[in-house]
Amino acid sequence: MAMDVEEKEQLGFPYWKSVRRTFGPESPFFASGNVERELIAKQVALDLTEDEKNKLQNLVAKECGVFFCPIVGCGSRLTSLEDFEDHYNAQHTASCSICSRVYPTSRLLSIHVSEAHDSFFQAKVARGYAMYECLVEGCSLKFKSYKSRQQHLVDKHKFTTSFEFFKKAHSSKKQRQKLQRKQGTHKREEASCMEVENESIDGLVSAVSKLIQRDKRPDAT
Amino acid sequence: MQKRVNALRELRRLLSRSEFPPVEASLKAGAIPILVQCLSFGSPDEQLLEAAWCLTNIAAGKPEETEALLPALPLLIAHLGERSSLSVSEQCAWALGNVAGEGEKLRNVLLSQGALLPLARMMLPNKGSTVRTAAWALSNLIKGPDPKAATELIRVDGLLDAIVRHLKKADDELTTEVAWVVVYLSALSNVATGMLVKTDVLQLLVERLATSNSLQLLIPVLRSLGNLVAGDPNTTHAVLVPGREITDHVIEVLVKCLNSENRVLKKEAAWVLSNIAAGSVEHKQLIYSSEAVPLLLRLLSTAPFDLRKEVAYVLGNLCVAPTEGDGKPNLICEHLVSLVGRGCLPGFIDLVRSADTEAARVGLQFMELVLRGMPHGEGPKLVEREDGIDAMERFQFHENEDLRNMANGLVDTYFGEDYGLDD
Repeated sequence: MAMDVEEKEQLGFPYWKSVRRTFGPESPFFASGNVERELIAKQVALDLTEDEKNKLQNLVAKECGVFFCPIVGCGSRLTSLEDFEDHYNAQHTASCSICSRVYPTSRLLSIHVSEAHDSFFQAKVARGYAMYECLVEGCSLKFKSYKSRQQHLVDKHKFTTSFEFFKKAHSSKKQRQKLQRKQGTHKREEASCMEVENESIDGLVSAVSKLIQRDKRPDAT
Repeated sequence: MQKRVNALRELRRLLSRSEFPPVEASLKAGAIPILVQCLSFGSPDEQLLEAAWCLTNIAAGKPEETEALLPALPLLIAHLGERSSLSVSEQCAWALGNVAGEGEKLRNVLLSQGALLPLARMMLPNKGSTVRTAAWALSNLIKGPDPKAATELIRVDGLLDAIVRHLKKADDELTTEVAWVVVYLSALSNVATGMLVKTDVLQLLVERLATSNSLQLLIPVLRSLGNLVAGDPNTTHAVLVPGREITDHVIEVLVKCLNSENRVLKKEAAWVLSNIAAGSVEHKQLIYSSEAVPLLLRLLSTAPFDLRKEVAYVLGNLCVAPTEGDGKPNLICEHLVSLVGRGCLPGFIDLVRSADTEAARVGLQFMELVLRGMPHGEGPKLVEREDGIDAMERFQFHENEDLRNMANGLVDTYFGEDYGLDD
């Protein structure tokens, strides 16, 4: 009987293999463990987190601890030294020394300075060099014009067409001096521009509130 | 400016209601373009914060609502920058985390817009809630299925070091989020796995498994350990070497998980053990002589189906020498005889009877070991006694060709015409 056994075993039986088994992260094997994690795949930021409540309590407790940013022209409301350090780091070190525009990263600030204020940069552009860097860190492409860089952002990085890196919102110092006589109109225009924005937001808020009110009314049966 | 901020705050409050926040209504009323404007560079912090908060809550809703954030993404990403105030960057990270959590398509958009690097940098500091939020957002961003993001993440300067630092901390919530990052890194990227195994991470994961009782934390920590063991042979060859203290501890914590009430911990712990048992002969001996085996034998008879299957893998791996090539594996007779003697055969035969193809296959493979490997030709008799022939004959006309051939092959080989004639 032993000899028969050995012959028949030739026929490709898939023997037990002592091997490691791996699973991809979305494998059904992990499904039950993922259940709770899936619940927080998206998180709503509810009104007043624990941190906020603490800050609020601190604020109420030491009203006199409130102070205002000492930098000329700023005046932001601050509640502690840490808050000031954070605020200073955000608003007063990342700004362009020529036109005061603020950027969230050093890299964007430096790109802005080259593109907006560097005549050497403009000279190279005029001679056809690709000087406009892609804004997305890690993509090292450069372009010959602001517009073509813009197009790249839309095509390759899915930016929306309405994105504008450089908005000509404020006149530069030089222009302001020349336009001194026209300053009156200019200021009003700026103000009305902001008013339009405020109106849009107010309009948004009231539209939303109205819709909520409508939802709350009991159904007419 | 203050008017604008106040209006934004109103909108934010509406969107922060816990019941039925008016997301759809806000979108219909044109919230997104306005919020995008509010995110422009140079806007005051309060404005950025409120706008990002509104976007966070819009993104927390239905898929089409999350997708509505597309125009805002480049700005949200930009405000993650090192020059942003912490509360602004954290709120933006939160919003982006929601977008990444929606699905693969949006994840790819975020990655192509360069979201990974700034989020990764937010994990580098030593303290702050920003680290936790960034870790959570990153775990959503790298979860694939494309492994590219995971491999990119581990290569960020200082990130590996930050992971190790955070795993040492007592902050359970932070460790949980970081552990999930490790889960995805180790599941998707061989590069990441290799790098992680060379650090103290294994030691730290084992320690957390030993000391923590938080299920939220234990699940990703155990799974990270499992992925590291499964994904890289070095884990068992170079780190979890038998004889070292860490190896004993690993087995101890896996036994602790097997003893827990929770199904997920039990099943995944068995899976990890099965992979360690797939290591060297010394690994098999170590597990065989540990307190794991009596527990596993019990579970093989009494546990729910999916756990029994994993346990079967552990026990089977203990009986078979490291597999080389496709031929007949060498048996570790001592283990096989002992485990069969302690009554594991019925459990395997039960798996053969199950409807699950993989389980049936595992059962049949183990039966082959028993039939071939039990000394003095005892195998067939044992199998017959436990109604194994009956279980195999069910596959005679089974629709699955592989199972049919396996079962029929065994029956023909061991229970052919000559069977029983010697008695």
